[in-house]
Amino acid sequence: MTVTTALGDLAALRRQQAFAAADEAALDGLIAVRPPERVPRPDPVWDDARVLVHEVVGERYRRLVLATDTIATTALAGQFLMITVPPTGGERILLPRPMAIHRRHPDQGTVEVIYGSAGRGTTALTDVLVGESLLVTGPLGRGFEFPDAALPTETGPEAPRTALMIGRGVGVCAIMGSVEDAARLGIAATVVLSGRSPANLIGLADCAELGATVIPVTDDDGSSALPALGERLRGLFAWAPPDVILACGAGVLARLAADLGAEWGAPVQVSLEAHMACGLGYCHGCAAPVATDPAVEGPLVCVDGPVFDAVLPDRAAAGREKPAG
Amino acid sequence: MTIAPPQPSMDARRAFFDARPAASVAVDLSVRIGSLTLANPVMPASGCFGPSLGRLIPVAELGAVVTKTVFGTPRGGNAAHRLTELRAGMVNSVGIPSRGAAGYLASQHPLYLALGVPVIVSVGGHRSGEYAPVVRGLRGAGDAYELNVSCPNLDRHGTDIGSDPDAIGKVVHAVRLETDKPLIVKLPVLVSSIADCAQAAEAAGADAVCVANSIPALPLTAATRSPILGNVIGGLSGPNIRPVVLRLVWLASRAVDIPVIACGGIETADDALDYFSVGAHAVQVGTASFGRPFAMVEIVRALQERCEGVAAADITELIELWRA
Repeated sequence: MTVTTALGDLAALRRQQAFAAADEAALDGLIAVRPPERVPRPDPVWDDARVLVHEVVGERYRRLVLATDTIATTALAGQFLMITVPPTGGERILLPRPMAIHRRHPDQGTVEVIYGSAGRGTTALTDVLVGESLLVTGPLGRGFEFPDAALPTETGPEAPRTALMIGRGVGVCAIMGSVEDAARLGIAATVVLSGRSPANLIGLADCAELGATVIPVTDDDGSSALPALGERLRGLFAWAPPDVILACGAGVLARLAADLGAEWGAPVQVSLEAHMACGLGYCHGCAAPVATDPAVEGPLVCVDGPVFDAVLPDRAAAGREKPAG
Repeated sequence: MTIAPPQPSMDARRAFFDARPAASVAVDLSVRIGSLTLANPVMPASGCFGPSLGRLIPVAELGAVVTKTVFGTPRGGNAAHRLTELRAGMVNSVGIPSRGAAGYLASQHPLYLALGVPVIVSVGGHRSGEYAPVVRGLRGAGDAYELNVSCPNLDRHGTDIGSDPDAIGKVVHAVRLETDKPLIVKLPVLVSSIADCAQAAEAAGADAVCVANSIPALPLTAATRSPILGNVIGGLSGPNIRPVVLRLVWLASRAVDIPVIACGGIETADDALDYFSVGAHAVQVGTASFGRPFAMVEIVRALQERCEGVAAADITELIELWRA
């Protein structure tokens, strides 16, 4: 029994390591800092946010609904919070944990966050009770932004503008703000929700509420495998490619999004995760993995991102070689 | 015997933070570092602060701010992962990315100046001869310089400059020729004699020493026992290193007449008072600001309140009252 468990753990670990290596390779040279945003970023605040809901979601995740008026009102799609984990059960967590804002409910003054309990910090967070407060700082970072080409015009285009969103695991949370924006702006959103099993898909109810078309894919039935997913999306969008692609949750998905974007001529934005301490750009803990000269630091995921442009490395090089002007 | 007050609730802390600072009647929290007078003894630890924190907290209430270490030439810093958290504390191997003195002057210094408190510029080097050129390159910017001698010395096979009294002396002598501004020497934890290192700094003309820095550490993953950090080795910080640094501050403050600035695991006014009671004149706050961005401001206000509460004129008197 113990031996079987240990072997099972080891196999899971090896699989995790393989995923991490594939993600790192997929992101190599892929990301670039986005041009300055049109809408200025809201000023971050720190807030003692009361926990209104703290419940289990699926097999591996938990959902928090936090009362925080300012953040609910000002947060832009794809921005994140730093959540300070209070001391519980003798466990002291020093560093706040970055988490994407899953839903914004400005009318109720609340935001939703979904997290998986993986390490010490998120495990300690599961002990927080409804009615208690969490110290949150936000909204932080550069979020997703629909490019002009994806925005409906005043006169109204012939066909509705379309966006393809791809999220995996808790990475779905980073893109859900854009699904909200799409619903508000009248952009037709198609959302790929990827997870290990049907019980671990995040965002089904949210997408239904927001009127987005959902493509659920799982590891269980193999539909989340990159070649299968890529072919399915190529077929689906063969005649009318989306105006923009947004992705979060895995480096390999960012790479798939960049591949599709290159084929379709659609801009691609991806949101990255990183270990970070401050969320404000001063600790420099979260420099993104980009091939650079050792004298130059990569962009910071917390302030230059978490949302970056994703362009295939050879195309980025071709773009740079073009004469200026 | 002193009994620590009960920890206030989150709501009480929030109300306290939102309240306007109490009018200072007679309490004097000021501290002198050479020719520079700070309004109070609380400042951030280098690397754990940036002007962007000014968007969240009233930085003008701090005694000073300390910049991220500026090196002579641009450097990118270490590979990811750059930080992690263990039960023992935070471990970082950020590797001090720097845009060099010119880059600092162009992009960072104006933001620091706008904060409205004295700016202490942290200066780094890999050889004892590299510090003075950085200070020269800063062209008078900054109200004081903190010499970060906790960097591997490339002249001596990577041992810390700050663990070698001769090298400390060389660094301070050379920088002293460049500037009349106050010089603070930031010493590392791993030294054979903190007293010798502090005395070397004092003898060479330093106006203060800062004790100490993070402790070199090697965090491993639980599952595979492989290094977590891209750089393998990082610096341990946080409340658990406090007793280690308290000892060093105690030893250093008995060895020199110049002020000792304590830096190591300070989270609350009580932690700061621990350091003051063993001889520190000022404190730097690092790791605590990540989880509680307002930690430094809370400490300033609580020190003020503690003094007012017992009608102590300053922190020295507050500590004497406790001991009486």
